[in-house]
Amino acid sequence: RRGLGVAAGPPSTRHLREAEEAAPVFQYVGKAAKRKDRVFVWGFSYSGALGVPSFVKPDAGWKKPRRIQPTPYRLETEEKISSAACGYGFTLLASNTRDITKVWGMGLNKDSQLGFQRSRRDQTKGYEYVLEPSPIPLPLEKPQQTRVLQVSCGRAHSLVLTDSEGVFTMGNNSYGQCGRKVVEDEIYSGSHLIHQLKEFDSEVVQVVCGQDHSLFRTKKGSVYACGWGADGQTGLGHYNITSVPTKLHGDIAGVNIIQVSSYGDCCLAISDEGDVFGWGNSEYLQLASVTETTQVNVPRHLPFKIGKVKEAACGGTGNAVLTEEGNVFVWGYGILGKGPNLVETAVPEMIPPSLFGWSDFSPDIRVAHVRCGLSQFAALTNRGELFVWGKNLRGCLGTGRMEDQYFPWRVTVPGEVVDVACGVDHMVSLVRSFT
Amino acid sequence: LNAAPGRAPRQRVRFLPAPAPGGGGAVELVAARVPVLADHPLVRGPRFKKLKIGAGHRLDVKASGVFVLGVGHGNKLLTDLYNCHLTKVYIVGGLFGKATDDFSDTGNLVEKTTFDHITREKLERILAVIQGTNQKALLMYSNIDMKTQEAYELAVKGLIRPMGKCPPIITAVRCLQFALPEFQLEIHCLHETQQYLRKMVHEIGLELKSSAVCTQVRRTRDGVFTVDDALPRTQWNLQGIQEAIRNCQLKVETELERTLG
Repeated sequence: RRGLGVAAGPPSTRHLREAEEAAPVFQYVGKAAKRKDRVFVWGFSYSGALGVPSFVKPDAGWKKPRRIQPTPYRLETEEKISSAACGYGFTLLASNTRDITKVWGMGLNKDSQLGFQRSRRDQTKGYEYVLEPSPIPLPLEKPQQTRVLQVSCGRAHSLVLTDSEGVFTMGNNSYGQCGRKVVEDEIYSGSHLIHQLKEFDSEVVQVVCGQDHSLFRTKKGSVYACGWGADGQTGLGHYNITSVPTKLHGDIAGVNIIQVSSYGDCCLAISDEGDVFGWGNSEYLQLASVTETTQVNVPRHLPFKIGKVKEAACGGTGNAVLTEEGNVFVWGYGILGKGPNLVETAVPEMIPPSLFGWSDFSPDIRVAHVRCGLSQFAALTNRGELFVWGKNLRGCLGTGRMEDQYFPWRVTVPGEVVDVACGVDHMVSLVRSFT
Repeated sequence: LNAAPGRAPRQRVRFLPAPAPGGGGAVELVAARVPVLADHPLVRGPRFKKLKIGAGHRLDVKASGVFVLGVGHGNKLLTDLYNCHLTKVYIVGGLFGKATDDFSDTGNLVEKTTFDHITREKLERILAVIQGTNQKALLMYSNIDMKTQEAYELAVKGLIRPMGKCPPIITAVRCLQFALPEFQLEIHCLHETQQYLRKMVHEIGLELKSSAVCTQVRRTRDGVFTVDDALPRTQWNLQGIQEAIRNCQLKVETELERTLG
């Protein structure tokens, strides 16, 4: 109670300090707070590939459907997603949980590449377009023990890799890309068939889908392929279809392959010693360093003098590799990332590290991963930043602009990007929040 | 300054009458150089009555550091330096756990939060993202068409810089010291105000799910002028100023030539 004869003035410093110390302390997050994992999607949304139904069918009548999502949009998922893959108009998300539902799919389902999605209106038919992440029922023997390691999507088929039950394939099989015998006039839409592949020389550790073919890499370092071979992309020495996964020989016979990559009709494989092997389509000079022919049906060693290669990524017309020192080399045709003047090259050219944020001020920035879409490239740095470049088809680069990007450009994602999957016209990224 | 010897008075050739070498009376005109009377110090008065001093980029009352001033002709150089759009370097000190209304530690307290979950790693991640978004803004405001080869080449060398009006852009951030609850950052920026930097410290606190206030803002470099060129208070006299101007002249000229051509 202040005295009646004392004027009221600003509180003295001592009062302020005491009030400050007595103020309550809020705790927003504790010491053991974990970083949350999130999924961000962007690109063409009308096929439902982004998994947000309100983009295709808005909630209110006055709202217009969103055809393209030009910047990253957060997708709410029930579980933590550990692997994602983008196909041609559809997406697969997989989590390595032990629960019964392990894989979700969204987008085009005209060839049952997302399994059978029972339509609610007509119980006998399936959905042709899946607008939100829907569980894919896999015929697992031990559904509560098996974990899904990786998923991969091609043009109209998908592969799911599990740790103990081999590989599951679904979707279009007109070229044998699902690893089973081609049935004449088979109707793929609304099909319940999911094929299981187990006969490999050892456990399969990586599955990769090309446009109409599939590649399997086993623990022993050998590569199996099946599917369409008219461009030699199966690498089996002929240009016919293969409907059973068969082992590849050629220059990779006996070599321990640690990574395979493909998206269009060209394939690249990296050995543990850092050598690059390629086969398949070479119409865009992808393999022109060893041969003049436009189709190579046997794996050939590509003698590049760029150092030990750690990772490779194959696009439709261009390829990119990442070396041990963290440099990105590109070659092929199209927008390769070195300005509008470089349109095609048969020999790998390095992208200057300063475009990825390297400078005297921050000299320890390195590129950690490279990924390819059909005509786009994506690179992840060790600081968790995502750089994209290439043709900006229907907003798939995620830069917010609709123009093509001729050199690596940062994508603003609210979090640290852990992995990214590139498709034809959309991309999915797995992101961890900062705190 | 006025006591220093000024310009020598102008000389003029005048024909002065002088006695002829012959006998008395006859007057001859002889050419002689005489100082112009108008230049005499008693006629002209003190050389400098007022000095025009202009200030460079603004510095807050609560901030400290390098402050560039121009004297006389230097004011024109100041406008040229402003058009060069060079970066400034600040050392910003912050304190976790408090949030105030004017983002500095002398304001009214708004909120107190815990901060023991913050690690140096988390802070560096946030700083990397800030740098990333500002890098994008840098490229966008520099008004170069991204589709040209020229844009690619400038981007590789890192020479893209906005040459016109643009909002505050931070070109680089680095964490110098980190000792909970205090931390220190080195920030390189363009077109900023000190209050913007204090707001940035507050936003970093929010991003880390806590709160932060700014305790210290110190400018260590403004374009070409660094702390080493700056005059401390003890040297605010004529000799100090003249020497400083002489030392910096060459640097300023080379920088202006390089940027403005």
